[in-house]
Amino acid sequence: MTSSSVTTRAVATQRQWLAPLIWFILLLSLAAGMSQLEWLFRLLEPELRQVIYRRGDFLALLGRHVLVVAIASLLAVILGVGAAVAVTREAGRDFLPLVAQLASIGQTFPPVAVLALAVPALGFGTLPIIVALLLYGLLPIVRNTLAGIGSIDPDVHEAARGMGMTPRQILRQVELPLAAPFILAGIRTSVTINIATAALGATVGASNLGDPIISGIVNGNTAYIVQGALLIGLLSLTVDSIFERLQRRP
Amino acid sequence: MIELFDVTKRFGDETAVNAISLRVAKGELCALVGTSGCGKSTTLRMINRLIEHDGGEIHLDGEPVRSFDEVTLRRRIGYVIQSTGLFPHWTVSRNIGLVPRLLKWPKERVRDRVEELMQLLGLPVAEFADKYPRQLSGGQAQRVGVARALAADPDILLMDEPFGALDPITRATLQDEMRALQARLHKTIVFVTHDMDEALALADRLVVMHQGRIVQQGSPIDLLHEPANPFVESLLGGLDRGLKEAALIQVGERMLPFGPRLLASERIPYGASLSQALSVMLWHRVDRLTVVDEEDIPIGELSLRRLLGAKAP
Repeated sequence: MTSSSVTTRAVATQRQWLAPLIWFILLLSLAAGMSQLEWLFRLLEPELRQVIYRRGDFLALLGRHVLVVAIASLLAVILGVGAAVAVTREAGRDFLPLVAQLASIGQTFPPVAVLALAVPALGFGTLPIIVALLLYGLLPIVRNTLAGIGSIDPDVHEAARGMGMTPRQILRQVELPLAAPFILAGIRTSVTINIATAALGATVGASNLGDPIISGIVNGNTAYIVQGALLIGLLSLTVDSIFERLQRRP
Repeated sequence: MIELFDVTKRFGDETAVNAISLRVAKGELCALVGTSGCGKSTTLRMINRLIEHDGGEIHLDGEPVRSFDEVTLRRRIGYVIQSTGLFPHWTVSRNIGLVPRLLKWPKERVRDRVEELMQLLGLPVAEFADKYPRQLSGGQAQRVGVARALAADPDILLMDEPFGALDPITRATLQDEMRALQARLHKTIVFVTHDMDEALALADRLVVMHQGRIVQQGSPIDLLHEPANPFVESLLGGLDRGLKEAALIQVGERMLPFGPRLLASERIPYGASLSQALSVMLWHRVDRLTVVDEEDIPIGELSLRRLLGAKAP
């Protein structure tokens, strides 16, 4: 391979990461420099004394938002992939129809309802929103992992067994790599939905980017709502473009 | 050596394999032939325990297969299937090196072995090592499948209709290569096929199965001469049996030194089969052929009388 083609490839890789990078920089600059845009939000609410949400620092709110989504998504990936793998093993196959059905029914369950049910059980704060996000985010992951494992050519599985691979080797070297694009798509859906849904956490006392939105609704301050919504939107775009990039790998 | 004693397999109420006994000697290529659903694939898959047998015993070199751990057992047995079952996310060289890696061979040894096998199967390393299965033709993919099965140098090879999905020309090429390979490697092979010509061309021993039972077994010539019943006879080609037998005999076995007559104008290589020689005679309307060696130098002649007399030496 010539050095020029190496450089070309490196440049191409950099360019593919450009979109996530731009969204990320926009997100950080807006979170850090929201007060610089006071003149802009003044146009939205000329009557009000305060047009920039000040009860929490935007960077801190963003950090907590990301943390809550990250924890919930990580747990959802572990549990979701784990459950899907378990029911596609010899021993767990009896539960496959049940889990597959739960996964598709659960998707139709509104997250607000999960939240409403979680609060009496877990109290106010961050915990109920993590549980709600976890439950809601579980479903696309389970469904996609099942689809991914199901899409593998039975002859590939037969050959793997015939060659003398142990069940664990088949799972790790054959099934999971071949199902990976499906699983990644499931995680992408799950995380993107959860970034938006996490904002509901503000209604049950979790402090995150939903705070300005709820506060804006309560106080009739459109500028607050726009500030929260803009940051959540940019966060979604950043994360989604990262996944988009990951999925394009061969 | 593979031995089956009264081996039986039932799926629910259906008996797929019914008390079959079979002995495949070391270095022998045994073809299991029969119509679909006759139990030949099931029999094959019971040998490496992809399917567990219900009754009877299967022995490898005198030891019951159940006495081995199934994973260890399978790593000792090469396995080739019709659809190749290559891992689509692995390159050709990684696919071939699978079993040696499972057996924890050192990296360099795996690499050397993979390259050796690619050369053996006519897959230039520089061209194919880094290709993915989807970039291969059917014939190339099946060569990789055979290389993968041979990778850890197993004594036993199980082949389940390995060439069944290939076009006739590629299939004939791979059959020739298979024969050449077996002449060098002397593996103990069980080969499942529904193609009687393939079985006749490759097998030392032919086992005809029907409805879960062995109907007849023996050498290809034995079966052609004395089919046990009309089913075996029809499977062997009925009226075409004469040609099928002639296809098993080389011109070189029947040729005579030159007689006093002039050389016949039509030529046939000494490695060709008697059925091909007959075809050349029919085509040119002659009853005498000049037999030539690889360099096209005449080494003898074959007359129609000699050809016909071939049946009873």
